[in-house]
Amino acid sequence: MRTYELVFVVDPRVSDEDVVAMTQEYKQMITAGGSQISKEESWGRRKLAYPIAKLNEGKYVLLCIESEGGKSSLPAVEHRMRQNDKILRYLTVRTDEDLKRAASRHPKTAGRAVESPTGLADAAPASGGPGGPGGPAPAGASAAGEV
Amino acid sequence: MARPRKVFYRRRKVCKFCADKIDYVDFKDVKLLQQFIPERSKILPRRISGTCARHQRLLQGAIKRARHLALIPFTTD
Repeated sequence: MRTYELVFVVDPRVSDEDVVAMTQEYKQMITAGGSQISKEESWGRRKLAYPIAKLNEGKYVLLCIESEGGKSSLPAVEHRMRQNDKILRYLTVRTDEDLKRAASRHPKTAGRAVESPTGLADAAPASGGPGGPGGPAPAGASAAGEV
Repeated sequence: MARPRKVFYRRRKVCKFCADKIDYVDFKDVKLLQQFIPERSKILPRRISGTCARHQRLLQGAIKRARHLALIPFTTD
């Protein structure tokens, strides 16, 4: 299975409702292509690090997409975004390979993120999500689990 | 007779990502990336930051992606 992250920046003059409507449209295109949206995040109005089209702010939207290989609707979505001049920027990144590689680097850490190994049942959830700063407690716990 | 030699203590640099066990550098994590872009907004060389080669590579990619989305500046003018 492939996972993607799609972030796009919308002109801040577009109203929030319209942003939602636009997002809805892209989501529909994606789901129509046989993929799922696993996460949707709106970062709201955010200052741009540099002006784009003489604008200093933008509205950010993040979509996480899960796709079952095969044909993807993402090129079509990107094409749509390119045509829409309300979209200042977009970026699609395929994440499954990198995450898998990252997980294989530290199998102990990754295993902890997904499912805590023996004896850590209550320590792991408290330590936060995957990739969180390795606090002293989980680090020590994983060292113990190694033996 | 011999002049007291000045002793320089050099702190050993460690790769932040190795220390924190970060294996996937997320381009959305602006706070993290910001630590590696000094005043001129250039990417901090690993000679300075002590980041290991692997993680510098990942970091570089993440910074470039973040720049595209205007999360991080290309330059300061």
